[in-house]
Amino acid sequence: MSDQSHARSDHDLAPGEEEQHSVGTRILGYVVGLVLALLLTATSFFIAGTDLVWQPSIPVALIVLAIAQMGVHLVFFLHITTGPDNTNNVLALAFGLLVVFLVVGGTVWIMAHLNANMPPMDQIMRMQ
Amino acid sequence: MLGKLDWSAIPFDQPIPLVAGAVVLVAILGVLTWVVVKGHLPYLWSEWITSVDHKRIGVMYILLASVMLLRGGSDAIMMRIQQAVAYQSQGYLPPEHYNQIFSAHGTIMIFFVAMPFVIGLMNLIVPLQLGVRDVAFPTLNSVGFWLTATGALLVNLSLVIGEFARTGWLAFPPLSELSYSPGVGVDYYAWSLQISGVGTLVAGINLVTTVLKLRTRGMNYLRMPMFCWTTLASNLLIVAAFPILTATLAMLLLDRYLGFHFFTNEAGGNVMMFMNLIWAWGHPEVYILVLPAFGIFSEVVSTFSGKALFGYRSMVLATMAICVISFMVWLHHFFTMGAGPDVNAIFGIASMIIAVPTGVKIYNWLFTMYGGRIRFATPMLWAVGFMVTFIIGGLTGVLLAVPPADFMLHNSMFLVAHFHNVIIGGVLFGAFAGFEYWFPKAFGFRLDERWGKLAFWFTFLGFFITFIPLYIAGMLGMTRRMQHYDVAAWRPWMIVAAIGMAVLTIGVICQIMQLVVSIRNREALRDRTGDPWDGRSLEWATSSPPPVFNFAFNPDVRGEDAYWDMKIHAQQQSLERDRPEYQDIEMPRNSPTGFVCAFFATVMGFALIWHIWWMVILGGLGAFATFVVFAWRDHDEYVIPAEEVAAIDRINLEERRSLVSMAGTV
Repeated sequence: MSDQSHARSDHDLAPGEEEQHSVGTRILGYVVGLVLALLLTATSFFIAGTDLVWQPSIPVALIVLAIAQMGVHLVFFLHITTGPDNTNNVLALAFGLLVVFLVVGGTVWIMAHLNANMPPMDQIMRMQ
Repeated sequence: MLGKLDWSAIPFDQPIPLVAGAVVLVAILGVLTWVVVKGHLPYLWSEWITSVDHKRIGVMYILLASVMLLRGGSDAIMMRIQQAVAYQSQGYLPPEHYNQIFSAHGTIMIFFVAMPFVIGLMNLIVPLQLGVRDVAFPTLNSVGFWLTATGALLVNLSLVIGEFARTGWLAFPPLSELSYSPGVGVDYYAWSLQISGVGTLVAGINLVTTVLKLRTRGMNYLRMPMFCWTTLASNLLIVAAFPILTATLAMLLLDRYLGFHFFTNEAGGNVMMFMNLIWAWGHPEVYILVLPAFGIFSEVVSTFSGKALFGYRSMVLATMAICVISFMVWLHHFFTMGAGPDVNAIFGIASMIIAVPTGVKIYNWLFTMYGGRIRFATPMLWAVGFMVTFIIGGLTGVLLAVPPADFMLHNSMFLVAHFHNVIIGGVLFGAFAGFEYWFPKAFGFRLDERWGKLAFWFTFLGFFITFIPLYIAGMLGMTRRMQHYDVAAWRPWMIVAAIGMAVLTIGVICQIMQLVVSIRNREALRDRTGDPWDGRSLEWATSSPPPVFNFAFNPDVRGEDAYWDMKIHAQQQSLERDRPEYQDIEMPRNSPTGFVCAFFATVMGFALIWHIWWMVILGGLGAFATFVVFAWRDHDEYVIPAEEVAAIDRINLEERRSLVSMAGTV
């Protein structure tokens, strides 16, 4: 078993299998990630309560910040890169995103249209 | 002290479950006594129960599936008899019992027959086909199997202690909510699926990792046998879809246990959300089951036609296309729930599109057979039978994907006939084909061909005699799950279906006879070469049964059909390496973790069903402690010395050489 996994590990890394970096660089990476994550979190809380920006733009801003937060987590904590050693991880992420998009998006769409074939209740009420 | 559990839980007034329970209990006790008296217990414990060998676990999965097939089949026989006699009468099954039977039949057949059967075959064969020594996480594999067995045990326990769900196999609310199903039936259903669902998810992660990370030298993605590709697709779907099932059932359980309102009628609950979520899992589930079967047929058709698989790359593409599109069609299970034409049309079209890659596969199999030298051994019979049956099932499926037609046919016997047509004709035929095809690999002797062919013909004919009448009854307006009916026109079809069920039962008996006869004649049927079918992929490159380490050397793969290539090369240039340098092999140690975990999971599941809270805590702590003990283990591998590897491998090599030299002279 061991001989195969070693032979493979130089071109395809599993999550948790780290590339060899010095401890210093790795700690630096985590610190940068933590600071960025905290910054984004703080900004979200600030934006949510502020009246410095145009009110309808707040939800959009929060969505953008949330996506940025996910990106920070992926890059600094889960170590997703675009390098050739990361193909499996990137593909797994893409598949996961696709499924989440299909299921969540599909569900929202379906649930919004569920009453399409129902008799229009408000009109029936008015007729009575 | 014992929560809701008291003597009233045992149905003393209902003879059928009591007698069935007693028979099963006597059988289990008989087997246990025989095992203990004959002194097989240590062997069973050390070689099977605690085994982390993927082959042993695969065999146990298939054994579980076979036993559950008999249970689910008995339910089917009872339903067919009930509908044959219940014309203008109550029949012999009271409604509450009949409702439990059709719910248990569906639950068992999908979760505890089809799932363990395909997962068992994948476990058994995929590491061999990839040319590796085990799956990625051997002990986790054992945990997954035993948790699945826990789920099966809980479902069967409901036969004598308490009751099973009366809600159908997907437990739709509001019927499955506390207000309409106050008994323990739905709890049995939900907890057994939650526990076995963990097992399935674990198996899925394990097999995905195995295919992605453990392949022998030269085994590129585009050199993998088709079965490995379908395994990858199917397990990707498991990893993506099973969490949806777990979350949905968790919400239902919160409703039932803690007074939440996810799916209730009152307090803002939304029943439709349950249908939506359960089918977002349920439709990928269909492909989780059928994709491995497609892989099995690809292997079987190519081997028994003596040709490489036609259109290998288009097959890979079709498999992955199905993997993705299967997440875009789930609304076709509830076209009639109220969505408007735009939603229905999109999902209807998506459902028709998914038939395209499936059609590609059918043509690929046909073209593989075209011009081949076909041998109609039993596995090939199942494969050809599948093509005929599955095309009919697929066509009625495309018909049901047309929303206006679905408005006429939904929840009718036509639907029942359709999904049995694809699940029996696709998954079960595939499982049987794989069983016949790989049995010599797992046990070292072939199965009896005569009984195998009889089993095929009875099952094949019995299937059509049972389910064509159900299509017709559906067209005549008969809805599903009827305990009794008053329409004279349906009666003859129900009687024909019951006769078909009898023919199917003969098929099952032939299958059992085949096993008995083959075990008795095993010396005559012995396969010494490890390659009884003149196979093409790497599982045939090792002995049957394979040694615990599968391959003395990790095979080198130079193209598709790896083993076929090796055989051709061996014939051309006399023989490969004469004196191979054997090396020590490290293999994972056996571990009781899986069995002990499952024991505590059973205790916990049972306690949760009956609200015995102290026992829930006990079971949970026990399972967690088992995990901690396993996590702190000191050594998890043992070494097989090179001499032992050499001794085991030489026997097989000799047999194989005589085979190759014989083939050379012919």
